[in-house]
Amino acid sequence: MNRFRVRAGTAGLVLLALAATSCGSGKATGGSAQTGSDGVKQGPGVTDDTISVGMISDLTGPYAPLGKSITQGSQLYFEQVNAAGGICGRKVEPLVRDMGYDVQKSVTAYTELAPKSAAFAHFIGSVTVGAVRQRLDTDGPLTLALAWAPSLLGSKSIQMTGTTYAIDVINGVDYLAKEKGLKSGDKIGHVYVEGDYGIDSLAGSKYAAEKLGFQVVEQKVKATDADMSGQVAVMKDAGVKAVVLSISPKQTASMVGVAVSKGLNVPFLGSNSSFAPQLLATPAAPALLKGFHVMQSASPLNSDLPAMKKLVADYRAKYPKDTLDNGVMAGYTTAAITGDALKKACANKDLTRQGIISAHRSTSAWDGGFGTTMDFTKIDEPPTRTTHILQPDKTAVGGLKIVREATASDLANGYKIALH
Amino acid sequence: MSKAIITVATAAAAVLVPFYLEAFWLMAGIFAMSAAVGAIGINLLTGATGQLSMGHGFFLAVGAYGYVYLSSDSAGHLGGLGLPTPLAAVLAIGLAGVAGGLFSPIAGRLKGAYLGIATLALIFLGQHVLFNAEPVTGGYNGRPVPPLEIFGFTFADSPELMVLGVPFGGAEKLWFLAVALLLAAAWFARGVLHGRPGRAMNTIRDHETAAGVMGVPVARYRAGVFVLSSMYGGLAGVMVALAFQQTVPEYFGMLLSLDYLAMIVIGGLGSVGGAVAGAAFVSLLPQLLTRYSDALPLIAAPGAGGYSPAEASRMLYGIAVVTVVLFLPGGLLGLVSRARQALAGKVPHPSNPRSAR
Repeated sequence: MNRFRVRAGTAGLVLLALAATSCGSGKATGGSAQTGSDGVKQGPGVTDDTISVGMISDLTGPYAPLGKSITQGSQLYFEQVNAAGGICGRKVEPLVRDMGYDVQKSVTAYTELAPKSAAFAHFIGSVTVGAVRQRLDTDGPLTLALAWAPSLLGSKSIQMTGTTYAIDVINGVDYLAKEKGLKSGDKIGHVYVEGDYGIDSLAGSKYAAEKLGFQVVEQKVKATDADMSGQVAVMKDAGVKAVVLSISPKQTASMVGVAVSKGLNVPFLGSNSSFAPQLLATPAAPALLKGFHVMQSASPLNSDLPAMKKLVADYRAKYPKDTLDNGVMAGYTTAAITGDALKKACANKDLTRQGIISAHRSTSAWDGGFGTTMDFTKIDEPPTRTTHILQPDKTAVGGLKIVREATASDLANGYKIALH
Repeated sequence: MSKAIITVATAAAAVLVPFYLEAFWLMAGIFAMSAAVGAIGINLLTGATGQLSMGHGFFLAVGAYGYVYLSSDSAGHLGGLGLPTPLAAVLAIGLAGVAGGLFSPIAGRLKGAYLGIATLALIFLGQHVLFNAEPVTGGYNGRPVPPLEIFGFTFADSPELMVLGVPFGGAEKLWFLAVALLLAAAWFARGVLHGRPGRAMNTIRDHETAAGVMGVPVARYRAGVFVLSSMYGGLAGVMVALAFQQTVPEYFGMLLSLDYLAMIVIGGLGSVGGAVAGAAFVSLLPQLLTRYSDALPLIAAPGAGGYSPAEASRMLYGIAVVTVVLFLPGGLLGLVSRARQALAGKVPHPSNPRSAR
């Protein structure tokens, strides 16, 4: 036994010595910036012939259908970029990880991808991005967040596209006042789901109602609630003149469908996440086609812009079996914004994280041919305050057509976003 | 002798890992070690004493949020006490114990499935409070977690530290902290299980009346074990919070508690080793599969159509769980001891006398 102890002790010492010299450890190189053969400074995720771009998506969780469209949209963009010779003479290599809308999985995915990604072309969800916010703030790469909560503002490395939930709703309520004849003293209903999305939307309707002299009738629902008859009854009893919906697509179908059968014939305005084209194949379709509108910052797939037509055609050619929804557009534009930031950083000969973020933050008017001009220079502000008013249409690509072009109402421009 | 070799090898691995593996693996390891601490706690309760708890996640939440609240400075609408972080961590574990203590009048009287249902209520209560008590919990978005700082040594990425040419960030530092905490937690639980309390707990599990007749204060033991297991939950919560750097209410839901039950069933009920093995299995397998399933046949790259690695890993994980439950009645730990017997080929197992052949 004594001899064994000596042997074990020696083995332990040898192992410790191994640790001490960090023999063969790839980590010992240190991650400081190097300069490529073409004189471009290279940060994490960039080599002489590739640029790795991370994507953290939801492919198995509650937003899986949308997540799939988003990821395929982004991949389509990078394929086209690579076919055209890549960026900075380098091939772009997308790295996709699924987090199933789970916080721990997104932290793990971020931990794995961050050291080898030059940027994140998309990262879905406000809670999931929020979970790595501190890391992103300290030394994170440029990250295009797909969520519209104000809690994502105020960080130089996190970029939201479009505008916040509240501003969408303010523009929507403004539309009700201007086009649907609502007057001071009228009541408007707001059905919202608990959490970021609902709370911020409600802040928007309350602000707009106060400015316009409306009264808000609130109804909070859980994400898991399926039947909205109770909410319809409350709205009917209160005598509301219009209802704002910040809920899930399924809940929207229930709400609008029940409202028609109960005789609540008022305009419905849905936040951008309250509608999915699949709803038009459900029994709620006639009700949706009649009195329902969607407030959305991004241009719909149905718009006449040449860039949009090309995107729709390319996506159909690549993924003929998949539904075209807003996710395609969202994924493609976030990838395009990332791509343009990389190109600009390349022109500045600086593909380090700092270089990419600075290049991105120096862009004050980006539209990529998609109709919404975005300003990325202010970290405390969403890149735009404009909102489209759309209406469901069975024949339209993506199920939505434009009723009012993107506008930023005076109300929305005067709204002060509370940062966390 | 073989035991000593295993000990030395494990110790060496624990020291070497941070020098070689990337942050992803360290993070996975830290999560697994936090899970192991929590699983030891629930194994004391469910495995050793036979008290089913579905509310373990609640005590993790108390630990995590307790630490954040006690150690953060109050800023804006978020409150905080701004205590030194090690003190906050200890108090947070104490807080989880107090929460368990408040529940112990119920935990002392109920048993089995009834206690399971009563503890289920804790999850719903906890979720409601976490989402709505904004000044303490930060609501839906949660709160940032201040890094632990002991005698001027900070467990975070900055200030940067170089150890023998390897940059030591938050993950590397936390790895060593987690190893130390897991060792301490395991050592304490072993002491409890191998001593008088352990025998009393097992008797309560196997035959409550007999335990009472022999003079074991059954209700007091049940309540006491419940408090102890909540404190383990609280420590796991603090460790998870330090690893996440942000607490979010969603994490501490129903699924987390079920995961903990899965860990001890898979690992082996009633022992420290079982809890650790199960925790490693449940928290590492999905990540291993997600990371390497693109090497398996029939799997497409994520987002490219076909079975994604995430889906495949879920199926494989499910198959693994079913296999363990069906074919390994003693859990992973039972497999180890059976394998040891088969190798030795001598010691007959009471349930399988033929092995003595």
